[in-house]
Amino acid sequence: MNDVQDRLADTIRDVFDDPALQINRATTAADVEGWDSLTHINLIVAVEKEFRVRFTTAEVTSLKNVGDLIDAVGRKLG
Amino acid sequence: MLILRDLDYLGILKEARRLSQTKRRRSLRLAILGDCATQQFVPMLRVLFGREDYDVEIYEGNFDAIELEVLNPESGIYQFGPDIVIVLNSVQSLRDKFYERKTSSEEFQSAAISRITRTWDLLLSKHRPVILQSNFVAPFERIFGNYDQKIASSFTSIVSHLNSRIAAEARKRSSVFVNDVEALASWVGRKSWFDERMWSIAKSFCALDHLPLVSQNIVDIAMANLGKGVKCVVLDLDNTLWGGVVGDDGPHGVQIGPHGDGEPFYRLQGFLKELKNRGIILAVCSKNEHANAVLPFQENSGMILKLEDISVFVANWENKPDNIKKIAKTLNIGLDSMAFLDDNRFEREAVRTFIPEVIVPELPEDPADYVKALSELNLFETNSFSTEDAQRPELYRQEADRRIAESSAGSFEEFLQSLDMTIEVGRFTAEQLGRIAQLIQRSNQFNLTTQRHNQAQCEAMMNNVGGCLPLTASLKDRFGDHGLISIVIARIDRQSATLVLSDWLMSCRVLSRGVEEFLMNYAIEQAKGLRLETVVAVYIPTAKNAMVKEFYARFGFDKIAVHPDGKSEWMLKVEDYQPRKVFIRSEAPEAHLMESQGQRT
Repeated sequence: MNDVQDRLADTIRDVFDDPALQINRATTAADVEGWDSLTHINLIVAVEKEFRVRFTTAEVTSLKNVGDLIDAVGRKLG
Repeated sequence: MLILRDLDYLGILKEARRLSQTKRRRSLRLAILGDCATQQFVPMLRVLFGREDYDVEIYEGNFDAIELEVLNPESGIYQFGPDIVIVLNSVQSLRDKFYERKTSSEEFQSAAISRITRTWDLLLSKHRPVILQSNFVAPFERIFGNYDQKIASSFTSIVSHLNSRIAAEARKRSSVFVNDVEALASWVGRKSWFDERMWSIAKSFCALDHLPLVSQNIVDIAMANLGKGVKCVVLDLDNTLWGGVVGDDGPHGVQIGPHGDGEPFYRLQGFLKELKNRGIILAVCSKNEHANAVLPFQENSGMILKLEDISVFVANWENKPDNIKKIAKTLNIGLDSMAFLDDNRFEREAVRTFIPEVIVPELPEDPADYVKALSELNLFETNSFSTEDAQRPELYRQEADRRIAESSAGSFEEFLQSLDMTIEVGRFTAEQLGRIAQLIQRSNQFNLTTQRHNQAQCEAMMNNVGGCLPLTASLKDRFGDHGLISIVIARIDRQSATLVLSDWLMSCRVLSRGVEEFLMNYAIEQAKGLRLETVVAVYIPTAKNAMVKEFYARFGFDKIAVHPDGKSEWMLKVEDYQPRKVFIRSEAPEAHLMESQGQRT
């Protein structure tokens, strides 16, 4: 699971173009500059590519923080 | 640049963040109106127009408010004053309206088209912007299945009808252009095109991955309107316009025609002929004897292209960048309006290096894919067509109907240097004999005496250590390994202290890279090492080897005899030879070739 968290953190830093970004399970969109509804779907696309998974519409809209995202990816990877 | 067409969505977003703020040469004002999300297009368009050296200022209309924007004379779009208005109508939004319709299908249809044309006409009545109107992607919902096509009121039929109407209405208005999104969707495949989650969540009319393609399509249409476009296609011949090598295979031996191995080339010619009929000038730039190069056009019935389709025909042994510059000069067109098609990577790289303005598409390895690859690049966008356009190639042909003169290469040397070529020269070895015999049988053009030694004869030369110097040369460069590409056979006559060059041949694939210069330097060095004083050589003319008629003259040999059959004899004093400048490094030890038979490292 740590591996998922690390890769996810890298993906988030990459999408928001901020290598110094501190990411943990509690991080929410409000904590990250530039994370709005528009960039959220860009992030989703990037995560889907990184992990070769596909989120449902409901998942995309209900993810509240990075922890949710990690769990969602974890569920899909089995 | 068009050629790179790096259209990765996340990559472009990243590029957008790093987009240089320094002013570009030109700027453009764009407005985007849509019944779908338009925000995602903003970074795409900035990057892709930036690649064309344009700064763009973008006005975004409110979501799904196309009519509100254009009906209100006070609206922001009129204050903004766009050069180009991009109107995006999505099939998803149309679908919603269709499901909610309260009128007949005919009324639904005519209301939809009049909403679109009214938008154009309002925009055109205020300013005179260029309007890029998207068409509708065919829906995947097929209520009647295939029978949709039989029902005029099915959603499938309505969408298809609306697309025809959009095209027909656009034809009536010179500044309205169709942004053929349907063509893009069918190219990538609608299964991949539609990501309905993205419509639900963000009102994006396609998967985000395809937004760059839509944006590039918009840029392509805009650039055509700004005067950019390909006016002339410069064509290589051998293995580009036909299969095989005309100098070796003859005008009837090259592969061209509707069936068999020539089919891919036949198809390319058909495509090019259509371009020519549309007004794109075709030119030929080939490393060939001119007399050979024109023969397939005149004699091979499988050819779609005829000589009169070619406005400028250049076939010689000069380097291609110089020839292309001459073609541009002859036609009096800009280098940036030319595209160059050549199957040979070396030639493509040479043209890219020396004339970066010229568009040089990567051609796939398989000729069957040539037209598909070219089509994907959308190189031939235009904003107008008239009957005069169709006549243009013929006019240019008449004007350019003069032979292009020779001229010297300039910084071609630098290019050769950049190729990082290495050569391995040595006596024939047993492992090489098969390839040696093959090259001896096949080489026609760059072959001084065309003596077809068989493998056993080659083996005998290999073993004649004291009397014969049979050499092979193998070339590598940064693109790859060309293998064994040249053979030089010299006999040693100790009595008269003479080196006799009896055979000299080379694969035409490696022409004008300095291989022959390298080998001449090498041969003369060997003669010196053997304390020989003179080098004599022979040229025997054939139907195919005119290109090397003056080969020995190039190296300072004197012509000492000409026989009635055309055979000429040449001589050079070893001490008179001026070593030629070359840009190829040697890979094998050069000394002691006479002592250690067949040994190479």
